[in-house]
Amino acid sequence: MAVLNQRTPTPKLLPHHGRISHKPLLPPRLIHCSATAPPKNHRLNSETPILNPATSRPPVINDPSLKSTWTHRAWVAGGCSTVLISLAKSISASADSHIWVEPILAGLFGYVMADLGSGIYHWGIDNYGGAETPVFGAQIDAFQGHHKWPWTITRRQFANNLHALAKVVTFIVLPINLVTDDPVLLGFVGMCSGCIMFSQQFHAWAHMTKSRLPPMVVKLQDGGVLVSRLQHAEHHRAPYNNNYCIVSGVWNEVLDGLSFFEALEMVIYFKFGVRPRSWTEPNSDWTEDPETTTLVS
Amino acid sequence: MASISLHTNHILPSLLHSQTPKATFSQNLSLLSRSSQSQFHGLKLSNSNLLSIPSSSSVKSSILAKVTEGVIPPAFTLRDQDGKTVSLSKFKGKPVVLYFYPADETPGCTKQACAFRDSYEKFKKAGAEVVGISGDNSASHKAFAQKYKLPYTLLSDEGNKVRKEWGVPSDLFGALPGRQTYVLDKNGVCRLIYNNQFQPEKHIDETLKFLKSV
Repeated sequence: MAVLNQRTPTPKLLPHHGRISHKPLLPPRLIHCSATAPPKNHRLNSETPILNPATSRPPVINDPSLKSTWTHRAWVAGGCSTVLISLAKSISASADSHIWVEPILAGLFGYVMADLGSGIYHWGIDNYGGAETPVFGAQIDAFQGHHKWPWTITRRQFANNLHALAKVVTFIVLPINLVTDDPVLLGFVGMCSGCIMFSQQFHAWAHMTKSRLPPMVVKLQDGGVLVSRLQHAEHHRAPYNNNYCIVSGVWNEVLDGLSFFEALEMVIYFKFGVRPRSWTEPNSDWTEDPETTTLVS
Repeated sequence: MASISLHTNHILPSLLHSQTPKATFSQNLSLLSRSSQSQFHGLKLSNSNLLSIPSSSSVKSSILAKVTEGVIPPAFTLRDQDGKTVSLSKFKGKPVVLYFYPADETPGCTKQACAFRDSYEKFKKAGAEVVGISGDNSASHKAFAQKYKLPYTLLSDEGNKVRKEWGVPSDLFGALPGRQTYVLDKNGVCRLIYNNQFQPEKHIDETLKFLKSV
């Protein structure tokens, strides 16, 4: 854990209640896309080489740990299948029941809630625990590595990037697909789990330069359907305590405007005495490594 | 939206907000129904005092003289960051801005402390003293004051006794100590109460504005 040196606060006016306003957006840093960090769960995957802890060495381009393995692909296939089955069952049951509005609304709700879920989970992982934490340790470690070398996510192959979430989605959605035929529930589950599974792809896109992105992705980012590059860049700026949502980012303004995470952090501090990482001056394990930022994209 | 309550000519017999985490549901409900969102961004205490009538089951919790505008708050003697005892009466003869905050070394409290520090000259120019109070001990206050070079007194309200006596309301159903500032005039009478948990800098703006207007 970082030494608890309190960061020097910068006076900042928080928005009035009821008026949603951005924190002032600074021009994004040039983020050159390349290089590596060990993948999430790399310690659990015997097919990838054992690497040093996430933040102890600079990343290498074409690091084998960034490539997809057949295990990764299998999990992603499994995750996608469960999501597609969920959606297909929802559509089929909707057609049989001649209802459309409710399942579609449920799907939209699932998309919206996926963003909220991504933010809360991201906040938790970024602020509490460490590499030694049971179950989540590898992911916490990987998130720390991501903060140090944020652009490495853009160098991961697709299945490598998504497989951890795909695994979770498979385990959760498969039983739901088996036990229910309700089109509304399946619509919600399918969209929510699909967005969560693909959030790592949306996250990767948010780290890429416009020139490297498919035009449709840029349009979706600019339209607020997917989290924007600018909004996510805010998260990668000290004190790393805002803009946690990474599906559409629609919740970011709301949650940050309401000081939602600050409230949660204060409650956890008063109830359990645990300080979140964002209250401490970021150390070198957390701040972006400028030397490797300029690798060729 | 930030709210303040100003001195009125009558002293209202007011019922204490429960200060324990076991605040009654009806009390919180009445608070929330009136100012659910402004509980975080400013609480209009005078209105909520009038209308937050607790259910009979909670009356037993207290009918104490909570500090409101126009009353002289209960006296206290607490230790400052150097371990010296300081009484409220020490400040009689000049206005005092007394701010209750959750804890040292938390983001909001740090912002607030630094904002008071940065405007300290303005408070002095208005003839006022600034005093911060939290439940942290003297050692914590000393480290906090040294780290951020705070030029004013921090008092250690161990056990939150004064916080309870003065009726500083909690936030989030008692999970969070409230952030509330009192301005006492030179006779020790409370003239302004301002509550805002998540916009700590506003405490400085509102109290300075008030001091300049009197």
